[in-house]
Amino acid sequence: MPSRRGFLAGLLATGLAPQASWADLGCPSYLSAAKVADGRFILAGLSPQGEILFRCPLPGRGHAASAHPTRPEVVGFARRPGRFADVIDCRNGALLARLEPPAGHHFYGHGCFTPDGSRLYTTENDYENTRGVVGVWDTADGYQRIGSFASGGLGPHELLLRRDAPGLVIANGGIQTHPDTGRDKLNLDTMRPNLTYLGFDGSVDAQMQLPADLHQNSIRHLAMRSDGTVGFAMQWQGELGADVPIVGLHHPGTTPRLLAEDDPRVRNLNGYGGSISFSADGARIAVTSPRGGVVQVMNVTSGALRREYQLDDVCGLASNASGFTASTGTGRIVSLTGATIQPLAQVDLRWDNHLIRLI
Amino acid sequence: MRSLTFALTLALSPLAAQADMVDDILDQQILPAMTILASSSQTLSQAAAVDCQITSPDLRQAYIQAFDAWVMVSHLRFGPTETDNRAFALAFWPDSRGKIPKTLVAMIKSEDSNVANAVDFATSSIAVRGFYALEFLLYDAELSHFGKPSYRCQLVRAMTKDIATTAQDILDEWQSSYAAQMRSPSGRYQTKDEVKQELFKALNTGLQITADMRLGRPLGSFDHPRPNRAEARRSGRSLHHVELSLRTLEPLAVALAGDNPDLAEDLHNGFAKALASVARLDDPVFAGVAAPRSRFRIEALQQQINDLRTRAETDLGPALGVEPGFNSLDGD
Repeated sequence: MPSRRGFLAGLLATGLAPQASWADLGCPSYLSAAKVADGRFILAGLSPQGEILFRCPLPGRGHAASAHPTRPEVVGFARRPGRFADVIDCRNGALLARLEPPAGHHFYGHGCFTPDGSRLYTTENDYENTRGVVGVWDTADGYQRIGSFASGGLGPHELLLRRDAPGLVIANGGIQTHPDTGRDKLNLDTMRPNLTYLGFDGSVDAQMQLPADLHQNSIRHLAMRSDGTVGFAMQWQGELGADVPIVGLHHPGTTPRLLAEDDPRVRNLNGYGGSISFSADGARIAVTSPRGGVVQVMNVTSGALRREYQLDDVCGLASNASGFTASTGTGRIVSLTGATIQPLAQVDLRWDNHLIRLI
Repeated sequence: MRSLTFALTLALSPLAAQADMVDDILDQQILPAMTILASSSQTLSQAAAVDCQITSPDLRQAYIQAFDAWVMVSHLRFGPTETDNRAFALAFWPDSRGKIPKTLVAMIKSEDSNVANAVDFATSSIAVRGFYALEFLLYDAELSHFGKPSYRCQLVRAMTKDIATTAQDILDEWQSSYAAQMRSPSGRYQTKDEVKQELFKALNTGLQITADMRLGRPLGSFDHPRPNRAEARRSGRSLHHVELSLRTLEPLAVALAGDNPDLAEDLHNGFAKALASVARLDDPVFAGVAAPRSRFRIEALQQQINDLRTRAETDLGPALGVEPGFNSLDGD
């Protein structure tokens, strides 16, 4: 007798199921882009134990990914300044659509869906006009581009759905780049990153800037707690050896809180937050630093640094049931729950910057 | 004949040559250096107990010896130095926000009672602990005369005692467990390769701190040089630290080159070049960063150290199984 999952898989394969959904699939828990040993790039779906459930080829190096809230579709975004975002059917790896930004734009590597899955938003660089942009795509019919609006700053990087109100929150990293000069940073002296809260129509609801002495602390990555608290991770662009915070918390209309500021171990992050995630219960927030080879876990209430894990080339990070799961450029997937690192999987892949949790 | 060939091959094979690499580095470099740090810190604490006047020649001499001993191990940022933030408790540098003088002033003004016993003092802000805070008390024009002499005396004694305790704790952990873990990996390190990779990272850390921090911070930019950021400039030790760092990193680099004599010789030559530049510089606190001619010579020294970093990363790292980081080099 076939299992329920096998039966459903059969239905899906024959196209008899009315509409496929994540529940039919034994859906992956995590997504991550990776580089394969032969030099090619993929997007992979992972089980909670870090086993690879599917691999889809990507045309170039990926960065982050996002999953459609109901359909078994994922979007893998090109690493900046890339120009592809591949929509992939996770049942068979088929390419459903390849999104390309308009001429004069490139992607920044992140995007997110609306709660109903009808729209996809992508962060983009409108580099001829030196403008950060959010691209809007209609997911119903082959992912048509239906518009765009200003992101509220330069260098928009990660964006997430708000949980306290309808709309988006965007980390505008503040750094100006142009494809003609590769990844060179063109405005470090004058950069001014911010967090911008936008309605789905692009109207600005709120903005947060850090004090002027932190204007070179590029706000790049975001985490969202169920009550709408935004965790943000920064990347310091100023003088080497400066003592600067890397993790902050914010709620629109309030002053941001910078975490673990007086703990010297923040220096172990080498001024660089690679990924950030709340724990499942929202009580802790963790940040990775591939440059420091560490993961640090902070208490959200006290702001104190509670744990530090040494992990070479770590970057991808997501919550799991009791702690965090992290991925590394050396192919490891590990669980960080207690005082020690628990290895889950080791493969011959280089896991790229982000580990996206789906459920 | 056949067995003789086999024996010779074995003796000359890289595996045999490398079998003792970790033991050699532990026995000839790390453990002796940690022992010197603990004993010189003990001498410093005793000197302060005998005479806490900042002009005391014995106290100053003991400070110089113990601080030298710290710089010689300051690249070994793993294991015992990271337990309980011991490395930060000995060395809070760089201090980009000026926390050391601010916290010291507040402490002296309020005559904070934490100085009265060692356990309380160890709970004080990390900014008033260690060699860099002590430098302010001994050499800073204002802080060395700030507040009541009797309180300053208590503070010097508390700081030096705290340094001695921390240095001894580091040595104890090395001797009681950590060296053994590196010799026979089975817990924190799973393989000898992981141990070698840790030592390679320490070499890299040392070169990076010397190039980017010890030299890079005072260099600042051409338009905006920052001589006041030179490390331990109040005691005139900035260039001296660069020299100490090169002297302690060279034998580590050469040992890690193991069975590759060409690489070992190249590394030795690279260090010799940088040390010759140090000897010619005649600028103990990098005051010359602001004048083009002298700045150029400091930049040249920094470049020689960066060349060593490149050599270590491209040739030494891969031989020890350390590939350039996929994510750490990405930056996004």
